[in-house]
Amino acid sequence: MNSPKKKEGQMKKKDMPDTQCSRRSFLKTTSIAAAAGSASLVTGCIPGKNSGSSEEFKLKWEEYFKEHYRLMTQEEKDATISRLVRLAKLQRGLDLQMSSRPAREQVLYGYAFNISRCEGYMDCVKACVKENNLDRKSKTQYIRIFEMEPGQLDPSTGDAKYFHEVPVDNKFYMGVQCFQCENAPCVKACPTKATWREPDGIVVVDYDWCIGCRYCMAACPYWGRRFNWGKPEIPDEEVTTKQHYLGNRIRPMGKVEKCTFCVQRTREGKLPACAEACPTGSRVFGNLLDPDSEIRYVLKHKKVFRMKEELGTDPKFWYFID
Amino acid sequence: MSTTSQKGFLSFLYDCFRWNMQGSLSFQIFRLLLFAAMAFGIYAYSYQARSGLEVTGMSNIVSWGFYISNFTFLVGVAAAAVMLILPAYMFHDPDFHRVVIIGEGVAVGALVMCLSFITVDLGGPLQAWHLIPGIGQFNFPTSILAWDVLVLNGYLLLNALVPMYILYCHYKGQKADERKYRPFVFLSIFWAFSIHMVTAFLYQGLPARPFWNNPLMGPRFLASAFAAGPSLIILVLAVVHNFTNYKLDKKVFHKLRLIIVISAIINLIMLFSEIFKEFYFPTHHSIAATYLFFGLEGHDALVPWIWTSISGNIIATLILAFNPGDNNPKVLLPACFLLFIAIWMEKGIGLIVPGLIPSPMGEVVDYLPTWVELGVTLGIFALGITVVTWLIHPALILEERYEKMRASKMD
Amino acid sequence: MKEIIHGSILRSLVLGAVLLTSHLALASDKSVLDRIKAANEPFDTMKIDSTHPLSMKTVRSNDSYQGGTFKVLTRKDSIERFRCSGCHKDKKVQVRDGVSFTHGDIVINHGSEGTSLSCSDCHNEKERDFLVGKKGQKIDFDHSYQLCGKCHFRQKSDWVGGAHGKRVKYWAGERVVYNCATCHNPHSPRFKKRMPATFSRPLDE
Repeated sequence: MNSPKKKEGQMKKKDMPDTQCSRRSFLKTTSIAAAAGSASLVTGCIPGKNSGSSEEFKLKWEEYFKEHYRLMTQEEKDATISRLVRLAKLQRGLDLQMSSRPAREQVLYGYAFNISRCEGYMDCVKACVKENNLDRKSKTQYIRIFEMEPGQLDPSTGDAKYFHEVPVDNKFYMGVQCFQCENAPCVKACPTKATWREPDGIVVVDYDWCIGCRYCMAACPYWGRRFNWGKPEIPDEEVTTKQHYLGNRIRPMGKVEKCTFCVQRTREGKLPACAEACPTGSRVFGNLLDPDSEIRYVLKHKKVFRMKEELGTDPKFWYFID
Repeated sequence: MSTTSQKGFLSFLYDCFRWNMQGSLSFQIFRLLLFAAMAFGIYAYSYQARSGLEVTGMSNIVSWGFYISNFTFLVGVAAAAVMLILPAYMFHDPDFHRVVIIGEGVAVGALVMCLSFITVDLGGPLQAWHLIPGIGQFNFPTSILAWDVLVLNGYLLLNALVPMYILYCHYKGQKADERKYRPFVFLSIFWAFSIHMVTAFLYQGLPARPFWNNPLMGPRFLASAFAAGPSLIILVLAVVHNFTNYKLDKKVFHKLRLIIVISAIINLIMLFSEIFKEFYFPTHHSIAATYLFFGLEGHDALVPWIWTSISGNIIATLILAFNPGDNNPKVLLPACFLLFIAIWMEKGIGLIVPGLIPSPMGEVVDYLPTWVELGVTLGIFALGITVVTWLIHPALILEERYEKMRASKMD
Repeated sequence: MKEIIHGSILRSLVLGAVLLTSHLALASDKSVLDRIKAANEPFDTMKIDSTHPLSMKTVRSNDSYQGGTFKVLTRKDSIERFRCSGCHKDKKVQVRDGVSFTHGDIVINHGSEGTSLSCSDCHNEKERDFLVGKKGQKIDFDHSYQLCGKCHFRQKSDWVGGAHGKRVKYWAGERVVYNCATCHNPHSPRFKKRMPATFSRPLDE
């Protein structure tokens, strides 16, 4: 298949001028010039009480001046990952495995949610929080399950704050999360290209490139994005150590994050954590470009709809009814 | 005079600084107070920088708050300088020519505040260099925020450089060469409209937010700015007229009042049009307006706010239109102040916060700024006022000297 | 004044051109549905080698889905006292063993009121190690979906296709799905009411 989106992984030349050379030399001179003066700025203002060791300082320093992820060569990606892994070891004693696996060819991820099957147990939400290292302090969640009155399909009429025995008779449940829009308003909004759609359709954020302006959050019609208002807190023993640079690695403070269909899992062939945790089989996930996949079966044989389709965002997340 | 006229640019800057150090005791105390406010702002910001934006009242639903509200309003104030520039440079209106420098000073101050508000709102201010074209990745022309960065900085440059050139010429005792600065004046006039429209497009371009996704946004933005900005300028001119030796003609106030009245009336008509659209046949898209004007699901933090603003708007517009005091400053100035505050309430929090409430998934929360946001905002306002005084104070001294010099030459 | 007008026209033209081209650039991208329609070549999911081997016991299904044959999690391994014929044979069960060996803990809540199922509707009375279809066919416990599908034929076809039930752990690799009884208690197939696993914090807290 000669999809026009095949080359999205590498940036288009027009998109991102090849200024690496000058950029690098610029950064070099800047860093030398600025080293003396702003050393305290970088380490002092990126909060971290125990930034004592010189190795940690050096790693942070190199991290600060690194490239946009999509402009990095594989060596540079490996270098930043080894720095991040080392920093996690130095700061928290964590042994991480971090991946930079790119999108696979001929894969476009899609999701279908069976609103007549979901019983509102929220096992998906719990699994998502654990898998994606979401901040426990603010109780950040990517998924929101709405308890819906019959007769309406708009989640704004539902209640997402329920905590009682489920399912309640005569109610149904509807989960929302990032819909990985093909024509994503958030990607269009970002002033620094820190968020983009990968060739396999997942909209990701380069957490280190994001400046935290939150324009993408205003632009998202599905409330799919979350912000790290404080420093994320996850107990050491609960950290998921299998991570992806664009996925569930622990986010810095002041950056936007979002559901990535568990990119760290799905690119290894696994189901997203929510789909694996679902006890009712309401969550169908698969490759939209594979005519034999379950998701394609749903699209072909079920009556499906997408949320706010009139906005033209072209989400890759469908709802269906048995 | 002849001694200074020989000196170069450095001595110009030095003299400006020196003149700034002079001034009455009360003026200096006023400045010290501003510095104290800025210090408090820096303290509040350092607290925010350490703990993260969680110390603000913002949340994942109301992801923009007091900072962006003030930013949005101040873009209008900055753009309003064009209401002095246009008649002064284009129509060679002598009254406006004498005060245009003040308008430009106010614009620079407003822009400094705008950029500061954006900076303090960033989650990663240290990564702001990612925006710089060449070193970073500037998502132009796709991202309207990238446009905004461009137009705001451009307008700041234009509004700083043109007056600086004119003042520098006057400092040297020469007449500024109109052929040199006129193209930039033209540019700055269009630029003023563009900073406004682009900032409106920032919101208008988001189909996710029906409250903002409204073609009247840009035009209404302009109308309200051309009411609020000149109101502020009238107040500043009144201060200049009363507390300095730089005396102004009453006609300036009269002309500015006319500009304000026309803009304020257009603003009110558009407001009525918006309200009609939202409430004649309320749809799903009217829900944010319902929250703003009447409250939703027991959340009504903004209801008194917006009604106060609209009442103030109407009252001030009526006073300015019927002009009961016949340009008596005792009536004119409070009316301008009221209009300015009313539009600040409406085009700030009244515009930004309800755009985000309820969330696109229909969940309603209230937003109240915390002391940190108020502190930082106070600091930025103090910074803006400081910038304005530091610019206008030497500028007026210079202009006064230049006028005297020309008068003596004429004799 | 003329200059202003000229300038503004020029400006809006430039702006319009920029916006238009950026829009055209977007429009040339195909929509998801176009891409789906164009994708008719099966994807070789076996090449994602991180998906195998699967540690759970599986059996090849007698049905096949759109992508060929597939595997089902076994059932017999999760039935505690399989083989049933261990007890259910000619030899009589001692009364003292009856307490632990009878299936008194089983509550049948299957079928709608009035037409509730009884043991013998599914269990083969003659050959206890098998289930039985309506027409007396022997059905292996590992292929219980064949029995369930006799009544729940719509669910069955959805299950085969992928709209009902779920795959085990992987979206890629060889297709392995849960059997009916992995999720549904065959004696009482409706999901039970329970408290949610977690909750969402009220956002206005």
